[in-house]
Amino acid sequence: MNLYAPILALGGIAAAFGVVSLVAGALTGPKRYNRAKLEAYECGIEPTPQPAGGGRFPVKYYLTAMLFIIFDIEIVFLYPWAVYFDSLGIFGLVEMALFIATVFVAYAYLWRRGGLEWD
Amino acid sequence: MSQRLAELAATTDLAADPVGFASDPWWLILFKAVLVFAFCVVMTLFAIWWERKVVAWMQMRIGPKHVGPQGLLQSLADGVKLAFKEDIIVKAADKPVYILAPVVSMVPAFMAFAVIPMGGQVSMFGHQTHLQLTDLPVGVLYILATASVGIYGIVLAGWSSGSTYPLLGSLRSTAQMISYEVAMGLSFAGVFLYSGSMSTSTIVGQQGDTWFAVLLPVSFIIYIVAMVGETNRAPFDLPEAEGELVGGFHTEYSSLKFALFFLAEYVNMVVVSSLATTLFLGGYRAPWPITAVWDGANSGWWTLLWYFLKVQLFLFLFIWLRGTLPRLRYDQFMRLGWKVLIPTSLVWLMLIATVRAMKNEGYDYRGIVLGIAGAIIAILVLSVVWDMFRGTDDEEEKAKAAQPPPGAPGAAEPFDPMAGGFPVPPLPGQELPPVPRRAVRRAEPVGAMVGNGNGTGSADDESATDATDKEV
Amino acid sequence: MSSGLQLAADAADKVPAPSIEYGKLSPMLIVFGIAVAGVLVEAFVPRKARYVTHLVVALGGMAAAFGAVLALIPGVKDSGGEIAAVGAVAVDGPTLFLQGTLLLLGIVSVLLMAERKLEPGGDAFAPQAAAAPGSAQEKEAAAAGLRQTEVYPLAMFALGGMLLFPAANDLLTLFVALEVMSLPLYLLCGLARRRRLLSQEAALKYFLLGAFSSAFFLFGVALLYGYSGSVRLDRIAVATGGAMDNDALLLIGLAMVAVGLLFKVGAVPFHSWTPDVYQGAPTPITGFMASATKVAAFGALLRFFYVALPGMKWDWRPMMTGVAIVTMVVGAVIAITQTDVKRMLAYSSIAHAGFILTGMIAANEAGASSTLFYLVAYGFVTLGAFAVVTLVRDAGGEATHLSRWAGLGRRSPLVAGVFAVFLLAFAGIPLTSGFSGKFAVFQAAADGGAGSLVIVGVLCSAIAAFFYVRVIVLMFFSEPRADGPTVVVPSVMTTAAIALGVTVTVVLGIVPQPVLDLADKAALFVH
Repeated sequence: MNLYAPILALGGIAAAFGVVSLVAGALTGPKRYNRAKLEAYECGIEPTPQPAGGGRFPVKYYLTAMLFIIFDIEIVFLYPWAVYFDSLGIFGLVEMALFIATVFVAYAYLWRRGGLEWD
Repeated sequence: MSQRLAELAATTDLAADPVGFASDPWWLILFKAVLVFAFCVVMTLFAIWWERKVVAWMQMRIGPKHVGPQGLLQSLADGVKLAFKEDIIVKAADKPVYILAPVVSMVPAFMAFAVIPMGGQVSMFGHQTHLQLTDLPVGVLYILATASVGIYGIVLAGWSSGSTYPLLGSLRSTAQMISYEVAMGLSFAGVFLYSGSMSTSTIVGQQGDTWFAVLLPVSFIIYIVAMVGETNRAPFDLPEAEGELVGGFHTEYSSLKFALFFLAEYVNMVVVSSLATTLFLGGYRAPWPITAVWDGANSGWWTLLWYFLKVQLFLFLFIWLRGTLPRLRYDQFMRLGWKVLIPTSLVWLMLIATVRAMKNEGYDYRGIVLGIAGAIIAILVLSVVWDMFRGTDDEEEKAKAAQPPPGAPGAAEPFDPMAGGFPVPPLPGQELPPVPRRAVRRAEPVGAMVGNGNGTGSADDESATDATDKEV
Repeated sequence: MSSGLQLAADAADKVPAPSIEYGKLSPMLIVFGIAVAGVLVEAFVPRKARYVTHLVVALGGMAAAFGAVLALIPGVKDSGGEIAAVGAVAVDGPTLFLQGTLLLLGIVSVLLMAERKLEPGGDAFAPQAAAAPGSAQEKEAAAAGLRQTEVYPLAMFALGGMLLFPAANDLLTLFVALEVMSLPLYLLCGLARRRRLLSQEAALKYFLLGAFSSAFFLFGVALLYGYSGSVRLDRIAVATGGAMDNDALLLIGLAMVAVGLLFKVGAVPFHSWTPDVYQGAPTPITGFMASATKVAAFGALLRFFYVALPGMKWDWRPMMTGVAIVTMVVGAVIAITQTDVKRMLAYSSIAHAGFILTGMIAANEAGASSTLFYLVAYGFVTLGAFAVVTLVRDAGGEATHLSRWAGLGRRSPLVAGVFAVFLLAFAGIPLTSGFSGKFAVFQAAADGGAGSLVIVGVLCSAIAAFFYVRVIVLMFFSEPRADGPTVVVPSVMTTAAIALGVTVTVVLGIVPQPVLDLADKAALFVH
């Protein structure tokens, strides 16, 4: 059997459970209409009207996302390097040290420029 | 060289089968999958009860005790209750996404469990098989991947609710999870370095002599912190900060949809605990004193017990943290992740890589220790020197930044904390008076507190200008 | 666990380390090094000292890199060039010639970028690029006298990519170089201090179209790899050497890679970004882009066609001939209708891309050497011309509308005269470098059997001469306007840049032979 088949089996079971839960939740629960229930909840005030599309994400989060991608790519390079570290020898160590140093330069710039300040 | 690389590539073939998992018949796979699923669900029910009991115990309460023995069935009863609650879909919701989001969040949590080694080889219906659903050569990467997919469920839930708090909660949650995923991923690299593999079962096999938690203490600690951040648990439970965001991304969810999110959260807890066990605590292997006196501890079904106990240890840690620590502020939390965990783990990784490379090249141990110690001392000295020189520049920059740019609104007027007779926050460009204000109060004993507009304003003006002078 | 995975963990089982010839790569390594150092300067040096530190680091580093290029020349002369870095980089005559040219152009460009006497508030770049145009934040930043210095490391990164671009010996390195060169340029385009919306629009257009062309390039690389089983240019040459059948994979791949490269040189029909970007970008950056990018991209184009596809000559030559003809005609004709100096220079650069392509299409050694020579001549003229544009200013910044330049020759004969020299060089009038360059490429094309191209080229030169001369007439023979722009006296840096441009233009026009000989000797590609 393929190594990935068990994953599919488990995923299938989990998905089936989820779907059954969704359906069951819709069937077993009571349905008592009340306009207030269908409003968005907002601590006892009128809900904020949102622009079409459900609101926009503040741009600062994209910065976090981009930082994540940069470091994630670094990690992508790190993993195979770590796994085969012993066969790469000193050359592997030096090359990775150079790579990490370069990423660190960008990181230092980011830090000094307040890219890592959240409020 | 390319030939050698091709050989290496062949050994990492994604379909390679390190320990003979492909020999399981299909019905056994299905049976094991059902078992894993049931294990996760039962663990969730148990963990919720366990959490409530432990927190109650820490707070000198009793906790649930009515349903079942010692209240063990309490969470099951809660689940059944949720099924009979009204399934509300708010008006502003984006319906298909809103309904699918809980499933998207839950399924990956379960799927991550597929590569967790829960025990060694056992006999099941006459078949020799592992207490592990499957084993991929890239097992840990696979877990990271499923964790990332799980984030989608949270983002989509928050976005599709069409409501402000869930949106903010989901954004926070996403930012938090991706921030801590970096630290988490970096802590794994050390483990791969020592084990030479990304397969979970091989990693457990490599810890026969020493647990990686002992060899890689810094990686272990970083992983523990990142693990808590990754599961949105206290003290990092900002996405669900009741005081700020009501319920976070699942504010608008009710009935079984809400239950699914809950399930996902607890399954995730079990997954990260299992991963911690696998990568750092020797997985299903019995701890040292037991193996010394009992040879059979590492074989058969006993391994499941060790695994279970270790996972319980981590679950207890989660609960303990929740019972003890207050919630962090968002900026503190992000600062911890980006400014402490990431650089620390990168430096640590380079350190262990250097040590290992030197060992491989045949340097003796003392030389390595001396070299590393020397490097650390050199870095410390450099940083001290840097600090001495930096002082002036930094303050200069800060003063420049603190100086309100000319023409900015509100810059000209000094801060009046009781403008118009009400307590108000400072406008942009205005400075808060320094915190210990006793001297000011003594100078104007009554007026400052009563706040009749101008009088207090002038008193606080002085302190405000003092503050700016000091900054400059 | 007798797994294959553990095999790799065996310490005795080493992967042999590849050998990297650091000495041969030193020009690129130095420039990338100073770019990284520039980022550190930006992070740690106090704001006041940054400008000077950046200038010292950038100019010193480029000078050092130029020295490294000179030091490499004897070795290449003896060996005829070598492949370095496990086949990724070719260090040969064209590489060193173009790298030297690029470094000189880079030094001049940095001098232009560092000019701080022209703009009252600072330099040519936005005080705070992240502030929305017209916002209160931007006004605050301008009032506080902020000046950003990120342009220097960005320019150095771009320059590093440009140095690698003509040297890349495999398609993946070529792609990496393309991106390293382009991404900083996209950013730099959006940094203009004046008319920021125009500048940001230019950056966005450049970025979108650039990303599009990169995608074309990558698809082409994938197809060529599929055809030949390698991304290395020499292996592609071997694989295509005997190809007599029209293999779709190969032809489409060739065309798509060519699209990616032709986009960078701004050849028609991939030119549409050029006028907008040249107009919107800060003028020193425009100069840098128009000269250095073109040099680098033509270098890569030459290497790609001469090294990887010599066997496909009869397939790519008709295509490139068509592109060259359209490029020359469109560039020259549309330039006539332009009323903005920067846009006019942009279309003129398109036309020149066509002339340079003419030399390349000759597909012989003379074609390569004449192209190299043309690139030197053209690079300095372009930089000088854009440097002059930064000087003619009114209250709104640079006065780029042509009507504002009326009568400039009577007010500031020196500046107008210098600009006239550059225009004459563009037009290819004898005794300027433009003439020598055009003569060389047309001769090579004629020898290479592309006579039709030469005819079109000469006709287009005549059309182009019309609008260049029109500007000269406008400057010298019309009445100056009362509210006309003034010529600001620049600092020594811009002056030096313009002086160098004029000197190169005139010297290459009068005694082109030494540089022609140098280009001749350098024109041998290593396979």
